[in-house]
Amino acid sequence: MFSQIALGTTEQGLMYSIMVLGVYLTFRILDYADLSVDGSFTLGAATATSLIVGGANPWFATGLAFIVGNLAGLFTGILHTKFKITPLLSGILTMTALYSINLRVMGRANISLLGSRTIFTDFAQLPLMDEYGVFVLSLISVVFLGAVIYFFLQTELGLALRSTGDNELMIRSLGVNTDLMKILGLSISNGLVALAGSYVAQNQQFADASMGIGMIIAGLASVIIGEVLVGTSSIGRTIIAVLCGGIIYRVIIALVLQLGLAPTDLKLITSVIVIFALVSPSFRKKIVSLTAGMKGEGA
Amino acid sequence: MLTVRNLVKVFNRGTINEKKALNQVQLELAPNDFVTVIGSNGAGKSTFLNAVAGNFPVDAGQIFIDGEEITRLPAHKRANLISRVFQDPLSGTAGSMTIEENLIMALRRGKTRRLRRAIGSQERNLFRSKLEQLGLGLEDRLTHRVNLLSGGQRQALTLLMATLQKPKLLLLDEHTAALDPKTAAKVLELTCDVTEQQQLTTLMITHNLDHALAFGNRTIMMHEGRVILDIRGVDRSNMTISRLLEMFEKASGSHMNTDRMILA
Ligand SMILES: Nc1ncnc2c1ncn2[C@@H]1O[C@H](COP(=O)(O)OP(=O)(O)OP(=O)(O)O)[C@@H](O)[C@H]1O
Ligand SMILES: [Mg+2]
Repeated sequence: MFSQIALGTTEQGLMYSIMVLGVYLTFRILDYADLSVDGSFTLGAATATSLIVGGANPWFATGLAFIVGNLAGLFTGILHTKFKITPLLSGILTMTALYSINLRVMGRANISLLGSRTIFTDFAQLPLMDEYGVFVLSLISVVFLGAVIYFFLQTELGLALRSTGDNELMIRSLGVNTDLMKILGLSISNGLVALAGSYVAQNQQFADASMGIGMIIAGLASVIIGEVLVGTSSIGRTIIAVLCGGIIYRVIIALVLQLGLAPTDLKLITSVIVIFALVSPSFRKKIVSLTAGMKGEGA
Repeated sequence: MLTVRNLVKVFNRGTINEKKALNQVQLELAPNDFVTVIGSNGAGKSTFLNAVAGNFPVDAGQIFIDGEEITRLPAHKRANLISRVFQDPLSGTAGSMTIEENLIMALRRGKTRRLRRAIGSQERNLFRSKLEQLGLGLEDRLTHRVNLLSGGQRQALTLLMATLQKPKLLLLDEHTAALDPKTAAKVLELTCDVTEQQQLTTLMITHNLDHALAFGNRTIMMHEGRVILDIRGVDRSNMTISRLLEMFEKASGSHMNTDRMILA
């Protein structure tokens, strides 16, 4: 029983950490708080499930979820760079527009995949994969995507992307079109988020128009938790950190639910985690200076 | 080399804060010219360099480099021609990235960024030998993040980045003003070395009148958005700071605002 819950939580954590990887790209690499995430997570789920219900190959449906996510990010990027709308507002506009689009894609508020073929049912057919198939497929996906992003960030294009978030004036004077870099980053990010949405929906065998609500905050919480616990001394380490952050975040949520809190309280808990994580560095400094001050008085 | 014709830039046009920062600026640089630019605060020196670099669209006039008009090109499309060092040591480098990552971005200035591994051993060797020439011990710190460096080290690195790929025009905006005197002297020395070695065409803004006359082969003075003096040749070799101030007063009809000026 317990190990069942533990396994389920880890599997979910792995899938969500694909989303966290996307949030890391915008939030940390591009220094851009992108709220489109709430909409693009659902978009991925909606695209994959409606295609699967319509009889499409689930692998194809999953790939397409990634691409429509790219398009959502592209849209946010164009709003921001070409029409000079602020990052926050560009994200909110995409998120809001996607809410209607997702309902259009699904045709109703939720879709059940019970009994349908998914990437997970396919994978479970492989030898030895009937029990741990979901875990193994999620793990392979996370390791693969983490490695791809890691190598991408060491390429010339990846360096241009990173410096766009670090010092835009400088990299523009070195000949990089920073508008394009922002659009590229947002596009990859939202593709990953939508991909995560399609995994989660196929695993839980349903998609719901509101399943993405609060996803950006969950993503931020995961990024921060991972960075604090694992560290950020290099790009590779930071990527491992945020992936772990995604899993740890799910574990925390599972524990909180075990304590008897209602699932509807989750968003509140997540916000509290983010607030706590955001204020804790200054909070910790205060405590340190306070105790130092008390020691000073004693001496 | 660089030709600037009747350049005009007005900030906040049509508001009470309207400011004509560049008023019909004319300038012609020969290849290999090293021109020092002086003038009081608000004279339009930085605005002029920003206009040449393409940070904002200008209101009138034309800019050519080697006969090619660049007036309407965005900054990132001028990057293969122009490189810059700013006053603030933080603004010329990406602090969260390593020394070698910053250098490779500079080595690829103006080129298309590809989806290929950015740094190989060949580049690393090049960076090591170039950093050695700075004499700051940075050659052993290729994989250190730039935000661990001091302001002077960062500025020296920025200068190296600006000249790693020879630019047609080097723009220096008070690039030693934020450094302590000793570091400033070192960075200036590096500036002279590299401009000589690579035979660069350079525009250097400075508030140090001594430097303005000691470095380069030509000095221009700006006032209220115009070039009011252009001193070169024998005139310049015989020039003293007090004569320079005198000429300024005559040409501009006002006193030079010398609060940030270093006279000797
Ligand atoms: N972005 C801007 N918006 C509005 N006004 C500006 C802007 N940039 C410069 N100015 C104004 O244009 C004028 C010229 O400024 P500029 O920075 O070119 O002077 P400068 O010669 O570099 O002076 P300093 O020696 O103080 O650096 C100033 O009056 C300044 O206030
Ligand atoms: Mg200035």
